[in-house]
Amino acid sequence: MVGELAGNYSTVVLMFAFGIAAMAPALVISRMISPRKRSNPVKFLPMECGQVPSGEGRTHFMMQYYPYILMFVVFDVMAIFLYAWGSSLLELPKSATLPMMGFLAIMFGAMAFALYQSGRRRIW
Amino acid sequence: MSVIAPNFKLSGFIQSLLDNIFWILLLVVLVGVPAIFMILFVIPLPVIDGELLTPFLAFSALVNPTRLLPIIHAFLTTDIFRVMAFPGFGFAALLAASVIFVERKMMAKIQLRVGPFYCGKVEGILQLMGDGLKLISKEIIIPAKADKPIFWAAPVLFVATAAAFVALIPVAPGWVVADIDLGLLGVFAVIGFFPIITILSAWSANSKYPFIGGIRALFQMVSFEIPLILSLLGVVMLTGTLNLSEISASQSSFPWIIFLPIGAIVFFITMLAELERIPFDLPEAESEIVAGWLTELSGMMYGLVQLGSYLKLYAFAALFVVLFLGGWNGPMIVPAFPEQIITEGIEMGPIVLTIDGLGPLLHETITQEMLNGTLWFVLKTAGVIFFIILPRGVFPRVRVDLLLNLGWTKLIGLCFINIFIALGLLYAGVLGPGGLQ
Repeated sequence: MVGELAGNYSTVVLMFAFGIAAMAPALVISRMISPRKRSNPVKFLPMECGQVPSGEGRTHFMMQYYPYILMFVVFDVMAIFLYAWGSSLLELPKSATLPMMGFLAIMFGAMAFALYQSGRRRIW
Repeated sequence: MSVIAPNFKLSGFIQSLLDNIFWILLLVVLVGVPAIFMILFVIPLPVIDGELLTPFLAFSALVNPTRLLPIIHAFLTTDIFRVMAFPGFGFAALLAASVIFVERKMMAKIQLRVGPFYCGKVEGILQLMGDGLKLISKEIIIPAKADKPIFWAAPVLFVATAAAFVALIPVAPGWVVADIDLGLLGVFAVIGFFPIITILSAWSANSKYPFIGGIRALFQMVSFEIPLILSLLGVVMLTGTLNLSEISASQSSFPWIIFLPIGAIVFFITMLAELERIPFDLPEAESEIVAGWLTELSGMMYGLVQLGSYLKLYAFAALFVVLFLGGWNGPMIVPAFPEQIITEGIEMGPIVLTIDGLGPLLHETITQEMLNGTLWFVLKTAGVIFFIILPRGVFPRVRVDLLLNLGWTKLIGLCFINIFIALGLLYAGVLGPGGLQ
């Protein structure tokens, strides 16, 4: 039963594997037929618009938009919970909607509060 | 301007053609046919029409259409054909390639240029092939100190993930690679891999521009995933299923865009953001950060990422069609195949040509419904793709804080309104049990 359920997804994995199997040869062929001229010190430097690159390539990133990533972690899961309710809505009695309304209100309120906090530049 | 080479001779050209044909025939007869025979003797062959396929039968099938048709019929129903050709990779790659060409021509017309013109005699029709050959013959330069395994793997993984997305799209009744009950959740799962691949590619390049572009792509895709997920909840509530084929079949009388226009608009906007297209192409903003996370990709790696992003574009447009525009449903416009040919055969003067395997093939696999559904699906998808590539000629790019603000406040608010509209339609008895459907 469980194996059958998982087996349905095998074609998705097959398609993924076919994508790799069909596209990896393109890189291999390209590597075989393309010219590989002798190197010089400048050739393999990272692109910085013609300047000699300075500093590390992997720099620090801004914290300014970091709260959005944190919010995503929470609200993505909550949005998926709504699907469990939405897909079985036609079989549920109407009274089952009330707790969901409460859930939506909490979610909406929490999101508004998180957005307000993320808008406060001073604390980030 | 392309000109014919000065020392070109037609007789020499024809002679070289004939030479090539001679050598190909010779090699096929001396090497190819024995090789095929040996392989056919070793591998186990399937039973077709109650008859075990032997190598001799397989060879006689090659020259006899009535024997070949059952084999084609058996092949058309296999998973491997679906993955490789029709609803899967081949079909999607063909559409994606034509989208690239149409986009370049359309941008040119909007900006009063001619666009691709000289490659191929008719309106630069061979430009894409030329670009592909150019990209595959270019040297791949990998920056020093890059994380080489991840940097090599990222473009291939990008195409493969886009292919896995294509696998979930139903094209015609019964024609889908993966017909799973939680198809829509599968779509969300596959979409979730794109930011990871993008940030891996950007991080492994060890360069500043790809890194900035990758961070932007991460913010953008992640932020717009929640409006994307919430905007489709209305459709799931009205149909009561997550299976994309069933959602498509449920719209036989009317598409959901009539009842859920807000959800459709929100999904379209999030689609533009997930695809990194103008007005949301911040990760590839060419006037600010060279080419964003694609800066260090060269040669065929860049070509693969382009192919992957256009496969993704096709898949998103197809998802919009399946969820809001009724998928394969449409009036029957494909004419029926003449029944006389199947039953009596083709009459050509004194002789009558009968084709035995044609009946099962046309009644079970390539039916009239399937052709009609595919035609409507492709037409609708082409229309949606037109509206996706149109803003590129019209709109400027938005700022990153405006983008995040749009995604997190306005679009999510509209999503909640959409959910309440769907709920209201159900409980007012307009749709659902007792209603229109």
